[in-house]
Amino acid sequence: MSNIWSIGGGKGGSGKSFFAGNLGILLARKGYRTLLIDADLGAANLHTIIGIPHPEKSISDFINKKAGTLEETAVPASTPNLFLISGAMNNLDIANLAYEQKMRLMRNIARLPYEYILLDLGAGTSFNTIDYFMISHAGIFVTTPEPTSIENIYRLIRSVYFRKIRQVVKTHDFRILTEEAGKRNSSATVSHPDVFLQMVKELDPEKGDTLERELQAFQFKLTLNQLRKQDNPKTGELICKIIERHLGLKMSFAGNISFDDHVHDSVCRKVSFVDCYPYTQTALDLRECCRTLLEDVEKHAIVQAVQKRVDA
Amino acid sequence: MKRHGEQNHYELMEISPGASPLEIRRAYKKIFDLYQDDSIASYSFFSERERREILARLEEAYLTLIDAESRAAYDRGLMERGLLEEEKQYHDKTKDPVPIYDFKKVHAGAQGPLKRQEEMKRRAAQNPVIQSILAQDRIAGADLRRIRMEMDVPIEEVAAKTNVRMEMLRAIEEEHYDLFLPRVYMIGFLRSYARYLHLDENIAVGGYFKRVEERKQV
Repeated sequence: MSNIWSIGGGKGGSGKSFFAGNLGILLARKGYRTLLIDADLGAANLHTIIGIPHPEKSISDFINKKAGTLEETAVPASTPNLFLISGAMNNLDIANLAYEQKMRLMRNIARLPYEYILLDLGAGTSFNTIDYFMISHAGIFVTTPEPTSIENIYRLIRSVYFRKIRQVVKTHDFRILTEEAGKRNSSATVSHPDVFLQMVKELDPEKGDTLERELQAFQFKLTLNQLRKQDNPKTGELICKIIERHLGLKMSFAGNISFDDHVHDSVCRKVSFVDCYPYTQTALDLRECCRTLLEDVEKHAIVQAVQKRVDA
Repeated sequence: MKRHGEQNHYELMEISPGASPLEIRRAYKKIFDLYQDDSIASYSFFSERERREILARLEEAYLTLIDAESRAAYDRGLMERGLLEEEKQYHDKTKDPVPIYDFKKVHAGAQGPLKRQEEMKRRAAQNPVIQSILAQDRIAGADLRRIRMEMDVPIEEVAAKTNVRMEMLRAIEEEHYDLFLPRVYMIGFLRSYARYLHLDENIAVGGYFKRVEERKQV
């Protein structure tokens, strides 16, 4: 089964596509069969970042049923083992996918035969964005050390958390629970999913357990992008700590990525950054980040295997 | 993991119940930075009211734990509720300071410099032989030497302490008048000698030179 990672960030311009593209190249170079999917349908530009300015096929072909399978729309990138399903040259109304289309797309993504599938998501917390987290094994949240970006990332993490709860708890129950939560703590549904989870556990222990297991299976990861020299390099770890202490979520920190003006140059030249400037601190940070993420995959697999044995 | 609101002071500050005051201080600084008003990491995560509450809780935890008395009382409370085991509690293991050099220390049997001076003074005043010599009208060099021997003071010691050359001291004790310097110097030497042995300077100098005068006339 493929490992699906969603790469999201609340705010635009924080480096989601940059991170996804370069991480894809690094994974492919390590020999993993990797697929990049540009899921930011309204504002796709992942293809430019990895140096394919004019992809022949795109995700629209699948949605419009020009292509028989989603697999057919993948184009190989210049790096061996790396493939891209581009969002370029989409229909203008594609950002607002109908529910049926979205479900069909997600079902097909989950079935694709790759070792790693990276979903580059758009900014914001609309259903079209956060639903992709539901088919992912891990969510990599990209933020910059700026209040605006951090504000949005908290919002996104809470939304994903909340969406996970909704996935487990049926719509009918959910309404009852929401009302109950509203009585207990008026801000519970908006900003305190942990209060909500606590309540589900009290009212329905079985469902609470399922929910907790579901949340544990999903890995929350954070990376701090565009870290300038004057920024506090510990900010990322502190964010993870706050999430762990106050949302009860295990969030692991994947690493800092240094700010570098060369990123701008590489995007302008339409060449991927790790190919263009492999000996910069930023490229080093990206490789380090990739290594950490892969290590986490191994650790997580072991934990899950143990968990399964315990349950059995 | 327990919810934030239900943690005890130690869990809140992320320290073990055996943490020393220094560790508590450091932990407080670290955690305070995380929640303070202009912390970028927690920006927008809490409402203003929540932040105030958390900071107040942290402050209470810190002030309770940093004071030995209130900490002991808090620990007792935890132990009564079975939340803390006694052996995990903090015990001050710092040792009392030990001086590297102990000036008051005395080697067995040895006498400190001060004590020795006292002892010499006592001997000079009480020894009957010395007293009888000092009672004489004239004091010879051999008498001085006798006094010195009675007091058990080597001639080298006198030389070292009084800064009078050894030849001069010998010349005085053995009455080699040909080696004598002019009288004014010799009086000075003799005074130093007598003072070091705790003798009455005037008697010693007076008696000695009376004898010198007589011998020179002979």
